[in-house]
Formats: sequence, structure tokens, C-alpha cells
Amino acid sequence: MDKIVNDFTINIATANGTGSQSANLILLQTFFDMGIPISGKNLFPSNISGLPTWYIIRLSDAGYQAPGERTHIQVLLNPATWEEDLAVLEPGSSVIWNTDSKMEMNREDVISYPVPMTKIARGLNPKLARMIANVVYVGVIAELIGMDQTVLEEAISKQFNGKAKAIDLNSEAARLGRSYAAEHFEPSLYRSQARERLEGGFFIEGNEATALGSIFGGAQMLAWYPITPSSGIPEAMIEWLPKLRQKDGKATYAIIQAEDELAAAGMIIGAGWAGARGMTATSGPGISLMQEFIGLAYFAEIPAVFWDVNRVGPSTGLPTRTQQGDLSLLYEGSHGDTQHIVFIPGTVEECFEYGWKIFDAAERFQSPVFGFSDLDLGMNRWPCQGFEYPDQDMDRGKVILTKEQLDAIDNYGRYRDVDGDGIPYRTLPGSGLDPILYRGTGHDEDGTYSENPDVYHKLMARLKRKIEGAREYLPAPMIRQEEDCDIGIVFYGSIENTIAEIDDMLEVATGQMVSTCRVRALPLHPDVMDFVARHRTVIVLEANRDGQLFGIMRKEYPYKLIGHMHSAAFSDGMPPRAKSFVDKIMEVLKEVGQ
Amino acid sequence: MSEKPIKTIKLNVINEPKDSYTGGKSSLCPGCGHDQISSVIVNAAWENGLEPHRIAKMSGIGCSSKTPAYYLNQSHGFNTVHGRMPSVTTGANVVNKDLTYLGVSGDGDSASIGIGQLIHAIRRNVNMVYVLENNGVYGLTKGQYSATADIGSKKKKGMPNETQPIDLCALAVNLGCSFVARSFSGSKKQLTAIIKAAMSHKGFAFIDIISPCVTFNNNDESLRSYGYVKDNQTELHSVGYIPHSSPLEQVEIQAGSYRDITLHDGSTMRLETISEEHDVSDAVSALAALHQAEAEKKHVMGLLYFNGDKPSLDEDLELHQTAISEMGQDYLRPSKEALQQVIDSLRN
Repeated sequence: MDKIVNDFTINIATANGTGSQSANLILLQTFFDMGIPISGKNLFPSNISGLPTWYIIRLSDAGYQAPGERTHIQVLLNPATWEEDLAVLEPGSSVIWNTDSKMEMNREDVISYPVPMTKIARGLNPKLARMIANVVYVGVIAELIGMDQTVLEEAISKQFNGKAKAIDLNSEAARLGRSYAAEHFEPSLYRSQARERLEGGFFIEGNEATALGSIFGGAQMLAWYPITPSSGIPEAMIEWLPKLRQKDGKATYAIIQAEDELAAAGMIIGAGWAGARGMTATSGPGISLMQEFIGLAYFAEIPAVFWDVNRVGPSTGLPTRTQQGDLSLLYEGSHGDTQHIVFIPGTVEECFEYGWKIFDAAERFQSPVFGFSDLDLGMNRWPCQGFEYPDQDMDRGKVILTKEQLDAIDNYGRYRDVDGDGIPYRTLPGSGLDPILYRGTGHDEDGTYSENPDVYHKLMARLKRKIEGAREYLPAPMIRQEEDCDIGIVFYGSIENTIAEIDDMLEVATGQMVSTCRVRALPLHPDVMDFVARHRTVIVLEANRDGQLFGIMRKEYPYKLIGHMHSAAFSDGMPPRAKSFVDKIMEVLKEVGQ
Repeated sequence: MSEKPIKTIKLNVINEPKDSYTGGKSSLCPGCGHDQISSVIVNAAWENGLEPHRIAKMSGIGCSSKTPAYYLNQSHGFNTVHGRMPSVTTGANVVNKDLTYLGVSGDGDSASIGIGQLIHAIRRNVNMVYVLENNGVYGLTKGQYSATADIGSKKKKGMPNETQPIDLCALAVNLGCSFVARSFSGSKKQLTAIIKAAMSHKGFAFIDIISPCVTFNNNDESLRSYGYVKDNQTELHSVGYIPHSSPLEQVEIQAGSYRDITLHDGSTMRLETISEEHDVSDAVSALAALHQAEAEKKHVMGLLYFNGDKPSLDEDLELHQTAISEMGQDYLRPSKEALQQVIDSLRN
């Protein structure tokens, strides 16, 4: 059989809390440093210790970032999932297994690599054997698929951050695994081959990129309540803020771990009311709890930034799996008629960029603004070349700071639209300039309580006009237009990382290239509607059950475009895989006869 | 033309007339205890010489929470959502620590939906005055019992309350709240002194004020009616407030024993002993007074507990001396070089 180079998937099955994460990240870093296009997906349980966890590493010269459809090399250390993991393998797959797990290899149609991982580890350090066994499989894989030993040891050194003892111990464990494999096995058909490496690249989680973007966006107040998969944002801010945002040795920001998500929302709204940039990070259950406050911020017109790192709902759902199930909740959050701005990054670079831009939008539009990420983008490590420094100064919006500014406005009122864009001017507490009692109750243009039907109706119309005005302000979609093409694919968020593979599979299946449009914000940019109008069949891909973006488009677009649009929504909690979507797309194309 | 007689307008220490501290017309029921409290707030802020525009009026939802419209028109305010005023105030407070935060809430707002936020604001020692206008019933929804209704107390309509009340003063003492007092909307002198002292205190000042609901809970069988409270209050001490602008030497010392408490802005709270001495620095003594009063179906009034040494939230956070909300891009956006250093560190 021919060798298969840089186009295969390794699946490592371990138990949570056994230290396998370090070993897996060493593998990922080594491939990255060898210049091989790589992706790593951590499928972990909602548990601290003992439940099964899998790490999927895909090497792909084509640059595919989604987990593949099948496993080529399976590593087995966890007796609890042993039989299940073995059963789903295609014949001919390779299985590296720990003979000390006291489990059996009952498949004869796979290539078996039995390794006494625990025994080898125990020989090195009996106390830490369970953890070191993980690095033994790293050595075995390295030998079987031909990974560079120097690069591997550099990755071990990076992982343990220069701690000599840990580096020596783990390097030795990898070497022992390697020599065991060299002694007992033939090299694998699957081969890793170094490619030219782009200088300056590094791995980063979407959450950390969002945190850094927020810091460069001038976040002044962070209130949060721990929830998977969003905690990485505040935790990275807690780490970076003291390094980046001290003045005279003192903080230019306030961080509060709130008592719950409601309080976190209240705190950032209080900060926004007082004239500062407040933000929180949460996930679906937190957004559900914050609904009442979101409506207050919308109606009283208070800037506030909410990041939702989406996990699987409804309810507690699958807390450690990924989904795009909160989109419509964000867009129309809280009771009554509302509409909110949503930034939707698809890459770690955009997590950083929107991290700072979102504050400008919140203060410009004086409204709650959402960042929409997900577990896949937020918690997995993605290759990154760097971040662009903000190319615009901070936009604090229509804030009146002096008496002269106030006097220059004819007939000032906190909620009076004097510029015709639906956005009124505001003064800040402590300024003494035209103070009002902000309220979530009905109010007139001066902020005074009112139940007058005409006042209410006009206020709601202005709020609508205000947010409508954001369509062209927000990031435009990324469009790839194919000539003479009447099939268009619309998608958003982390499906960005699956789209290249979907694209290639579709080209094979349909014999033609399709146009693509990645939506990057709500309300939808006018370019998205033009894209829909240009293509007879538009299919909206999303990782949820009901086709939430599709629903928004169908509601907002004119009748003559409704027939163009079709939904291909699929969610099982796994990071989006190309085939699930291609199957859905092909169903649609069959249905419409294309 | 005849000359109008010159009206002398009384000014406070910062040369402001009392008019600078008043608000709009109240829409509460005539005789409502809350309106008396509003007028005490106006007096206290005026007499303390606070700059009206440097006060922030905060509230939740309910009759009490409507009152910020009735005082301090020159202050910004925020009538938030039910029970969540503490979190909004906390967020505003940490970004602008230089304002005086005056929160007003009711027993529906604070003892039920908002009890969690009240607890955590006390726990953090947010620098604010928390005025609880406590009448034992929900007024705006037409007279249901609240969680502070006393056992055996009967409102105008319906059965007597048989559910154990939550004593928010006892809760505050147990949480280590730095300033805990109970007063009565009908005791103008005592209430004014307590609110003034609370405004001079740095930290969370909790004032539980019995404020009868004239419409739903002012009948004879109610333990929170004007008549009942007047006849059944136990005063721990009489309370006096001596502002920092009038040095102590100038104040005539009255006969009898007293205790002075120095507040953060240099003002003094003078507690003149009425009966046996109550030690305000002793939480157990405060709880004993509360339990004894409850057992006797009485309301204990005065400063229950005080701790002037507890750092407030803004102090805990080690904030820059410039209020965060006043900071511009030069303080808030790290340099391009700083971003490069971050990226370099991520590369290694």
C-alpha cells in the first residue's frame, strides 16, 4: 500500500484528569512546528476526573480544520470506552493500545500496536506513572509516523515552560516510547512530513484572543460568573490586564466575579450607565438569565458588551460540546420588541478584532451588543500568525462632556433624535449636565415617565431605526463570488473552519464551484441580501437544529427572495464536520432539481 | 413699581439653597411613609453639603423605588429592575468611586427577589447608602404580604401573616455589614441623623426604615402601622450627627453618657445612652437587641452595628486614583509595542 502523508486523523481516548491534555498539546505543537497544517479538537466531559475524553488531531496538507470523518490512528488508554472506540474503526485502521489497561484487542482487521505504556512509565517514575504513560504514546506515535525528535523535544520544553525536571522526565518518556516502537514495530503507512513553516505563527484559543482584543478595546469593567465554555475569556483577562493596563502601579479596570449571571449583567450595565466600557462573558444558560437586564439596556439605551461562547442547549444541555444555538436568542433577546447587534467572529484573528471593535459599537449605538463565539472556536487551539493593532481610535459615541457641547444642541433631551440617525446624545452621572432618572419604564424624549401611546410608538420606531442603522456600520460579509454560479452557500462563525472541505466535497459532488458568503454580524449587512438575490439557490449552513439565521433571513427579506433560501442546519454537539453539511446540501439540491 | 421684599434664602456650606436638592411631585398615596423619607433625604443631603450632581440615585422596582424621582433633581439616577439595584450600583461604583451612591429599595425588592444581590453587595462592602423602605406589604400590586411581614400581623384585608419574617438588619449584622441601623419614617430627627451619618460613612450603610403603608397596612392589627410602631419602639440611644464642618469643641456637650463615632469624612455620630449601654461594635449585642425586640413584638431603633475599619470594594480593587469612567484612550488602550510584546510571548 502507498504511504499516506499528512492526510490522516489521530484519535486519542483517555480519561479526564489523567494528564493526557499535556501530551496531546505536545503532539499538536510538534506538528505545527514541523509546518504541517493541523487542527486539534478536545472532546472533554463535564467532569473533573474520570469520565472519558478524546482528543482528535487532524493532519491535512489541504488545510482542513474540521475533525475528519474517520479515525486512521486510534490510541486507546481508557478501558471505559475501549470497546466502543474499537468497534467504530474502519478495517485497516491502526490501533496503539496500552497493554497495561487489562483490556483485550478483539479486532483482527486492524493494525495492532500493543505497548506496555504504564509499565514503561513506572520504570521512569512510579509515582507519576499514570501521567507519564501519556507521553509514552507520544513517543510511539512519533516513531511510527516519523516525527522529528528535535522538534518534539522543543515542543515538550514549551509545554512545560522551561521547568527542567518536568522537561527531562517527559523527554525521556517520549524517547522510551520511541525506542519501544522502533524495536517492536514496522513504521506506519501514515507518515508525517515536515513542510515549510511560516515564521511567527503560534497557537491560541479563541477565548484568549477575545480577551486580548477586549483589553486593547479599553475594557474598563469585567463582571463575570464562571461557566463553560466562556470562562477562558475572563481568566485570560485576569492574567493579561495587570501586565497591560496598570497606570502608576494601579488598575485602570475593575474585575468582579459576580454572584450569578444576573448580577454580572447588572454590573456591566451600571458601568455603562456611569460612562465606562463594561463587558461580561457567558454561555447560553447565562444569556437566558440575563434576559431582563438585556431589555433594560436596550430600552434605557445603555452600552454593554456580552460575549456568548455557545455550548449545546437547551437547558444545561451538553455543557462541553459546541453549537450555534443561541443566535436568535441574542438577536431578539428579552421580552417585548427588541433587536440587538451581534458580532460573529469565525477565526481567532477576528476574535481579537471584534474584541475591541465591539466596544465602539456598544458606545456608538448605546445598546447591548453581543459577541457570538462557540466552544469549538473559543476553547480549541488554533494556529495564528498575529493580531493587527486597532486601526481606529476608540469611539466613545455621542457623549456630552461639557456645558458648551450641551448648549450647542437645540432642545436637548436624553432620548431626542437630533441627528436623524436614531441615536440620541447622553450626559454622564457626576457631570451635572442635564441629569435624568434612567428607567426601564416608558419615557418621553426628555426621559420623563410616560404612558402616552404616541410617545411609546415613536420611541419604539426610533429604536428600530437606530439598530437598522448599524447594518452598514458592522463588518461586511466575506463573499467569494463564482462566475455564472447560481448556488450560494451562506454560513457564519466557526463553520469557517469547515467550509474549505465542504467546498471541495461539493465541487466533487456537483461538478461546479459554488459561491460562498460568511456572515459576520447581525443585523445583516445589505451585501448579504444582494448575495441571496444573485443566486437562485441559497443554502444557509449552521450548527443548530432549526436554522436560526435562516429564520432571521426569511423574516427580514422580501417575498421574492424567500424561494431562493434553504436551510441546511445540523447539530450533534461535535465540531462541524464537512460531510454532515454536504449531505444536507445535496438533499436540498436534489429537492430543487439542481 | 413697588419693590418686592427681599426673601432671604438659606444656603448650606457649599452655598446651595435647599431647592437644589428637591425633586418632582410624588405620585405615592398621601401620608405614605416613603414621602417622609424622601424629605429627610433632601434635608440630609442639603445639610451635609453634598454636591447634588455628585450623587447617584439608584433604585429597583416598587413604590419605594419610584421615589428617586421625588428628590435630588440635579442628580443622575437609575430606576433599574426588580431587586437588582445592588448589582447596577456595584458596577457604577467601581468605575466611578467618587460619587455618593444612594440606593433606595423596598421590602419586596430587597427581601425576596433581590435578597441575593443585597447579600453580595454587603459582602463586598460596596461604598453606598442603602435605604430600605420597609412596610411589610407589596404596595404597587395592591397589598400582598412581603417577606418582612411580622408573624401575627394583619394587613387591612385578608388573614394574619403566619410566615416567619426575614429580619434584614439581623442578616446584615451576620454578614459583617459595616453600618447597620433601624429607624422609623415617623422619627424625623433620628432618621435624619442616621442618614447623614450613612452619607459620611465609607462602605455599605444599611438603614432599615419602617415606613408604614397607609393604604394596605396601617390598620390597628398591623405591627407596622403608624400607631403600633410609635407605641412599640425601643430606642437604643438618641442619635446626633455633628458634621465635620462644625468642630466638636463648638458643640455643647449635654449631660449624661454618650459615645462618639468618627466617620470617614471626619464627621461624628453621637450616640447618647438612654437605657443600658448597647455596644455598636459588638455583633452579638446587636443580634441580642434584635431578638429581644422580636420576642416582645417591638421594633428596636438606632445604630445596631458599626465597623469603620472594613475596606470598601473600590479600596479592595486597588483602583487608580482617577475614576475609571474618566479615563481616555491614553489610559485604556495599550501601545502597539505592547501588542507586539504579547504576540512575541505567545510565540515562545
